[in-house]
Amino acid sequence: MNNIKLGVSLYCFTNEYIKGQLTLEECIRTAAEFGAEGFELVGTQMLRSYPYATNKVIDEINAICNEYGVQFISYGANTDRGMRSDRDLTEEEMLQSAILDLRTASKLGCKYVRVQYLLSPQSLGKLAPYAESYGVKVGVEIHNPETPTTPVMQKYLEVIEKSGSKYIGFVPDFGCFATRPNKPHWDEALANGAPLHLLEMAAKLRYDGVPMGEARQRLLEAGANEAVLGAFQGMYGFVTFYREPDFEGLKKIMPYVIYFHGKFHHVNEELEEASIPYEQILNIIKDSDFNGYIMSEYEDHTSGKALIMTKRHLQMERKILEK
Amino acid sequence: MMAFSMKLPFVDVVCSNSLKNTFVNGKKLGYEFQIRLSNYRGHYLSCINEFRVVVDGKEIDSADLTFYLNEKEFTVAQLPYLISEFWNIIDPATIKVFAPGGLQEGEHQIDITLILRIPYLPTPGSMKEHDYALLDSCGSKRLTLQI
Repeated sequence: MNNIKLGVSLYCFTNEYIKGQLTLEECIRTAAEFGAEGFELVGTQMLRSYPYATNKVIDEINAICNEYGVQFISYGANTDRGMRSDRDLTEEEMLQSAILDLRTASKLGCKYVRVQYLLSPQSLGKLAPYAESYGVKVGVEIHNPETPTTPVMQKYLEVIEKSGSKYIGFVPDFGCFATRPNKPHWDEALANGAPLHLLEMAAKLRYDGVPMGEARQRLLEAGANEAVLGAFQGMYGFVTFYREPDFEGLKKIMPYVIYFHGKFHHVNEELEEASIPYEQILNIIKDSDFNGYIMSEYEDHTSGKALIMTKRHLQMERKILEK
Repeated sequence: MMAFSMKLPFVDVVCSNSLKNTFVNGKKLGYEFQIRLSNYRGHYLSCINEFRVVVDGKEIDSADLTFYLNEKEFTVAQLPYLISEFWNIIDPATIKVFAPGGLQEGEHQIDITLILRIPYLPTPGSMKEHDYALLDSCGSKRLTLQI
């Protein structure tokens, strides 16, 4: 028996929220109806008083949580290093913004905050005493094409281990363990006139670890059009994939995982994700003593299928976790 | 190298049914309409790299434009400095145009150029400081003047 908890990032409902089809309350209600015990909210997306939590907003969200019996678990913070028009924010300025994010998350009753990799390992280390004071744990997101053992993440690991603090760690995104090309991108490329054999060639170049520049050249020589090159860009970027995903790296960082982003792009009726090996990932987590949250995070917003996909995603997780 | 740009067309940038004349001391002194940010999250106004308004094929002088958001009216020249004015993703901004006499009844073509820096996404492959991918939130629509 495991104590893994399932949550939903309201980011799943990006399309519906922005188009006015679902209000914040309806997003939270939907997450609860799908069986989420808790939810995540991205501050820059759905917090009306961003970057602060005003009393009015706190009261509103608390009332919604009470109504539907669901908890506000994690706050997605952004590291907007380029927000000034004249220069990058300094390390000190980014640290101060991150501390403000912790205060906001704490006021909203959250347990966790996700930060992004532009916040340096040193700054994550400096956040530890603030995180302890506010009672909010902070994790840096491990997002494709980073994996637990890439050099950048190893630097965070060093800082986390050295700090000895339980309040800083990682938020791994399951996308970084993908084993197949992203299905929505693949289907879109086909629809836009990409020849199937060239997409397959692009995927093979990636599987074989051919460097990006060389792979691009070989695709161009084979007659790749814009649609192929668009998909190719993703294959070597934010939706890359591996023959052998970094499961050993995952096992190594398990003690420092604050929570997970259960990334998904397409779950079919048989409850299988198209490119991310959920069974293997969840079994690794099951075999650890992790008892925190997996936050479902859908990313194919323009499909208009967020509701059915998110529902299936939770069903798939429950099936694998025997919950 | 070409700038790396993204477009996320969740909503129309130019809002339907939002065009109307504006009055000062009972005289038509201009018009206004609303725009949305077409993206998945909001941004600080300082992230706006380019903002231009063309109405019926004619570019409006930025001295004759204001940008109204969060119950405040900003000049175009202020936009780059607004590092604490956050444009929520579901809030329309109102664009106010000074044009004595206002607009004639009927349809008018509105073309908006709106390009933002994506402040957490350095241009892929770039090693330069302050070099970010761009968000293309441009949009056009023919609006009928609301009476």
